[in-house]
Amino acid sequence: MDETALIHSAQQGDLNAFNTLILHYQDAVFNTAARILGDDDMAEDASQEAFIAAFQSIRSFRGGSFKAWILRTVTNACLDELRRRKRRPTTPLEPETSDGEEMDSPKWLADKSMTPAQKAEADELEHAIQHCLDALPTEFRTAVVLADIQGMDYTEVAAASKVPIGTIKSRIARARLRLRECLRSFEELLPASFRLDSENTR
Amino acid sequence: MKNFRDIERLSAYLDGQLDAAESASMESRLKSDPELESTLRNLRSARGILRQLPQRKAPRNFTLTRQMVGLKPPLPRSYPIFRLATIFASILFLFSLSATALSPLVSFENAAAPAPAFGMGGGCEDCEGAPAQEAGPATEEAFAAEMAPAATEEALMEEAAPLEATDEARIIETPSAKEPVPETEDQAEVIEEAGASSSFNWTILFLVIAVVSGLMMWVLQFTARKRWR
Repeated sequence: MDETALIHSAQQGDLNAFNTLILHYQDAVFNTAARILGDDDMAEDASQEAFIAAFQSIRSFRGGSFKAWILRTVTNACLDELRRRKRRPTTPLEPETSDGEEMDSPKWLADKSMTPAQKAEADELEHAIQHCLDALPTEFRTAVVLADIQGMDYTEVAAASKVPIGTIKSRIARARLRLRECLRSFEELLPASFRLDSENTR
Repeated sequence: MKNFRDIERLSAYLDGQLDAAESASMESRLKSDPELESTLRNLRSARGILRQLPQRKAPRNFTLTRQMVGLKPPLPRSYPIFRLATIFASILFLFSLSATALSPLVSFENAAAPAPAFGMGGGCEDCEGAPAQEAGPATEEAFAAEMAPAATEEALMEEAAPLEATDEARIIETPSAKEPVPETEDQAEVIEEAGASSSFNWTILFLVIAVVSGLMMWVLQFTARKRWR
């Protein structure tokens, strides 16, 4: 696949060329959306919206990594979706205290009071990790998904998130720390090579 | 417990985002600080867990259709010309049509007012009698002036009779008073007919241009759409 030629054709309005690019990147786009949103249906909608937006703004693509550019588009679509969801919440995403205040997610996930039924739901490692990802603040989750799941470098993540590299560096470090704390409660699910050291960085 | 600055540097070190000097400094610290090294292992584990997550496959193809992105078939270069012609012809047609519709009202207003210009075809129905009336008194006064001395001299009375007859004949046959009337009517009719026929022709012409251009636009669109499929 001659990506540069396809991009050039798509910039001239060739939809078939752009569809070829879509077929090549749709898994990465959907995967990113699914990890950020934590919901397949929403991820599907966000992916489709992202591709439509990408085609309509492909003339603004000035070279560089097309993957980074398209992931930036889907990240924006996901953030829009999350903002919409925040404006029209259906069920509380965070558990609340008796005073009606939100509880901190990692503590909630690591809470000893988590029922066996809830633990059974998170039986699979993937579900457990997604659970921990969902518990992260949106900006931390976005940064860590782009860097660690999609393998983008800090510059690309910064460009996709429209924040300075220093901020991305900090977000990724914080996200990894929180994930480590969260995954501690799913230690038995982790492969031996990923078992965490005892708590010593608190 | 490590401070967050150290953890941030460790995370960047893990990703190869530190420069050579910072990396060397970090490596020397890691060798001498087991706690720092343990933190690095934990961060690496967290990153490794995320990296080994299975890539989710797209549940369907997200390929786009022309409808989804609102694409329209490419139209030939002549299309804008026809569009422009349609717009202009329509505007001119409406203008011409309204001018034709309003012209009787304008003519009526002119007719009600005294006709200032002679022979302009302002729809003056009294034009036939007006010059005679104007010429009438003037001729009578002149005639009276001429007749005054004639009345005192009887001798001249007999001479005056043929003169009177001649003057009367002259008055009746004054060409300046009589001749313009039929000319005015003819001119008015000609002008009215010419005006009516010219405005009618322009209206029809504009209508035809608008319709033909519109049809051409439709044909071009239809052909382009058919070819695009």
